[in-house]
Amino acid sequence: MNCARCLLRLQSVGFLAPSVRAAVQHAALLQPATALSQITAHNTCGQALRRFHGSPGCYKSQPVPTDPGEEHEDRIKKDKSLITHDDLFERVAREAKTKATFNRVVDVFSKRDIRRRGHVEFIYAALKKMPEFGVERDLTVYNKLLDVFPKEVFVPRNFIQRMFNHYPRQQECGVQLLEQMENYGIMPNVESKVLIVQIFGDKSHPMRKYQRIMYWFPKFKHANPFPVPLQLPEDPVDLARLSLNRIANDLDAKVTVYQMPCTDISESGEEITFPHVVGIQSPDQMELLAKHNPNRPVFVEGPFPLWLRKICVYYYILRADPLPPEEKVEESYDPERCFDYPLQLDLDLDRDMGDDDSFDVEDVDEGPVFAMCMTSQGDQATLNQWISGLQETNPTLGRVPTLFRLEAGPRELQGVADPGPGYREEGEEEAETDIVVEEEHQCSQGVKQ
Amino acid sequence: MNINRLIALSKSVQFGKILTSNARHATKEVTLPHRTIRTHARNLAYAKDLFLGKVNKAECFPYPEIGNEELEEINSFVAPVEKFFTEEVDSKRIDHEAKIPPETLNGLKELGLFGIQVPEEYGGLGLSNTMYARLGEIISLDGSIAVTLAAHQAIGLKGILIAGSEEQKAKYLPKLASGEHVAAFCLTEPGSGSDAASIQTKATLSEDRKTYLLNGSKIWISNGGFADLMTVFARTEVVGEDGVKKDKITAFIVERAFGGITSGKPEDKLGIRGSNTCEVSFDNCPVPVENVIGEVGGGFKVAMNILNSGRFSMGSAGSGMIKKLIEMTAEYAGSRKQFGKNLSEFGMIQEKFAVMAQNAFVMESMAYLTAGMMDRPGVPDCSLEAAMVKVFSSEGGWICVSEALQVLGGLGYTKNYPYERYLRDCRILLIFEGTNEILRMYIALTGMQYAGKILTGKIKEMKKGNVGVAFEMLGRKLGDALGRKVDLGLTGMDGVVHPGLATIVEEQLILKRVADVLINLYAMTAVLSRSSRSISIGLRNHDHEVLLANTFCTDAFFKNNYWLTQLQRNSPENQDENIKKIAREVLEKRTYVCSHPLDRTF
Repeated sequence: MNCARCLLRLQSVGFLAPSVRAAVQHAALLQPATALSQITAHNTCGQALRRFHGSPGCYKSQPVPTDPGEEHEDRIKKDKSLITHDDLFERVAREAKTKATFNRVVDVFSKRDIRRRGHVEFIYAALKKMPEFGVERDLTVYNKLLDVFPKEVFVPRNFIQRMFNHYPRQQECGVQLLEQMENYGIMPNVESKVLIVQIFGDKSHPMRKYQRIMYWFPKFKHANPFPVPLQLPEDPVDLARLSLNRIANDLDAKVTVYQMPCTDISESGEEITFPHVVGIQSPDQMELLAKHNPNRPVFVEGPFPLWLRKICVYYYILRADPLPPEEKVEESYDPERCFDYPLQLDLDLDRDMGDDDSFDVEDVDEGPVFAMCMTSQGDQATLNQWISGLQETNPTLGRVPTLFRLEAGPRELQGVADPGPGYREEGEEEAETDIVVEEEHQCSQGVKQ
Repeated sequence: MNINRLIALSKSVQFGKILTSNARHATKEVTLPHRTIRTHARNLAYAKDLFLGKVNKAECFPYPEIGNEELEEINSFVAPVEKFFTEEVDSKRIDHEAKIPPETLNGLKELGLFGIQVPEEYGGLGLSNTMYARLGEIISLDGSIAVTLAAHQAIGLKGILIAGSEEQKAKYLPKLASGEHVAAFCLTEPGSGSDAASIQTKATLSEDRKTYLLNGSKIWISNGGFADLMTVFARTEVVGEDGVKKDKITAFIVERAFGGITSGKPEDKLGIRGSNTCEVSFDNCPVPVENVIGEVGGGFKVAMNILNSGRFSMGSAGSGMIKKLIEMTAEYAGSRKQFGKNLSEFGMIQEKFAVMAQNAFVMESMAYLTAGMMDRPGVPDCSLEAAMVKVFSSEGGWICVSEALQVLGGLGYTKNYPYERYLRDCRILLIFEGTNEILRMYIALTGMQYAGKILTGKIKEMKKGNVGVAFEMLGRKLGDALGRKVDLGLTGMDGVVHPGLATIVEEQLILKRVADVLINLYAMTAVLSRSSRSISIGLRNHDHEVLLANTFCTDAFFKNNYWLTQLQRNSPENQDENIKKIAREVLEKRTYVCSHPLDRTF
């Protein structure tokens, strides 16, 4: 998408710019002042129309030159202004990157010049810096940025202005600001609306953008039936609790903490960390496990990833293979089961010609999953703790051979970068590859009786 | 089952109704089918044949009667009982203290009400089902007493009466009939309502093979606190025909004197507060082998028979209650003035009385028709009819009591009037002796089982090349085609149920409708039969009966038509899918799903 837009833009620049340039040159010879203004107006109009269909994100740094004479100067000015604005942020960033400092920069800019010269560049720079300062999800900051635009200047006053694109660069910048809000899932509020009306008027492009956001955002707000909380719990046990409940999706399922994370000092003076072990099991799963044939093994498998926003956690499951067809016992119908009504009609129906004999193929037989757990350290010893904890509530498990089929997990990664036990950030994956290879060799396959 | 036939039937009953409105025609219509003398024991009853599309008129017309001597006899019983209930039973006190005073109980015993159906040779009154129903009308004036007596004799001692041996009868019935001993029926367990497989109470045979040791606990046992004798159902190990040991249900007569029986605290209930309901637990309670009812492992049949036979009397009980309520509320409506008019002059109040009268009439008709059918010689299986009576009268009773209370407005809501007590007492009727939901399943499935067996048999014969059956089917098809029937999509080729209909057990919403249609059909039959008889013999106010019958039948006819339309495939009236979906979504979340109307998203 983006690529195509860029291409389109380049093309138009390629075709349009020379002709414009030629025309401008001709016109300049004849009637310098009027012609120039006409063409500029015409040109910007064409530009802006195209721009609003494309992504404004790409060419904010490279506005198409309107005039060969101005082009150079413009770039210098812009470059300069960009540098200064970036610089402004950089300078402040040296102290601390917080909302307060960000706001201070904006304040400084607003107060420096009553005309707010270079505010478009400033806003672009500020938008780019927002994630750095951690304010990319802060509505008040966006409103403050909107407030940087001078008021009422860009509001069209007559139908011609309204018809053509009035102050396209500014409108585009406003749209860009709203777009960034949209990308971060921030919904504008009434204050934003008032500001936009004050700045651009009520039928401007930013206003349209605002209206579109306000149309779609509320509609999609609750589209996800399984929302992940914005703020994930810091505590790995709480996080495990949340994620396990999310996987199980069973209101009856009970979370058990088999071991709280703690550190202890052993006799030899070494520091031992005990990882947390948190498991979940529902009554249905307990029933299934109780019915499990003790001669058939159960497997501890994992780790499987689960993404919660930017955090990836890993879980392990206790499962068995699906019953082979010869072991399946059809529960026979007992006519003396219900005191009040026949549970089954005993009609002795035969298959007949023309009966539909096709069968349902949707049911793929899968083995039952008996329990799930999360731990920060997915080695066999730790998982054994989970299994022995499960044995307390599921006595059958003691008689069933338990096989560990663990794959290379995330557990060694903690040495590399420790974002907290049990989970890691997205970006760390490259660093792990060599460890993973090593892991593969010692992939544990043990049998515990 | 052929739904087409239901419509036909519905129509024919409607047709019959029109006839009855004209007395002359009606007499002709009704007297036509003479009852032939049967030589074989009848084991079929009316309701099952309805499922085959047959109206077995011989079963229902004419309306069953009792002889003059019997009538005199029952009247001689009724008068003192009525006197006792109006003068000596203080229902308000019973309800308030949650206990029936001993003097009241003694009064009941003296009247012989503890052994209404126990044969005279065992010291009971030995009354027929019809007479039992008649007495039930009066007994029902106090819910607590009615339930206590019902728990004693409708289910508590019924086991001995139906399946007990001569020795057991001789040993226990006299004391039970006199009320010296009170009986209770112990089936329900914490984990088992209708599910026989989850009964946990165990009876293990001792080593000398002379006693069983009972262990386990039973809940919601009426009379459980003071019953001296209990019919208890427990699992016993039985060696089956194939030599495999299996757990089967066995019924026992357990005396409290055997020891090892403890009763819990009486439950604090919404209604029927005077009746005693509590948990009963058995701890190594020794029961001699000769106290097994029927045979070992045959408890399931005993339980089913007891449950099925105990239900029919609820119709007369409900009608007795409503008749009393009509008298009480009519007096109020006739005396209370608003805007210078009596309440009885307002249309909406009048409607309530019409509803009450109609319901009482229908219940009464159904109850006595069923009782009459049960009293016939042979062993007629009227369990389906009894279940229909129970469902209809419990729901009708609930509506009527509520309407009666409404007539009084706020006064009815206070404890100064008995309406709130009736309302509370009445609520249990929809729950006990098999909840109405379970009974609807019973009605629909038992009927379908019966009809399905016969129809599949016919199909098989036809396949074997029996041309006669084929012609019969063809003839019926032709009749259907000429007689403008609606294809309900429920039946497959030749009107036989779809092969997939074996899974109809799971389609509870369909079954509910089928059951409702059948209940209405039976109610219409009962009403028509009764009013035709009244016209024929010129009973007092028979024109009022005809009016009630007409109104009810028309109403039921339209309701049935609607339900049958709902049964059609793809009918817009059928909302089952949506209903199921709503329920599924709510139950998935286990909460009300919608956002609050005041919630906002921006």
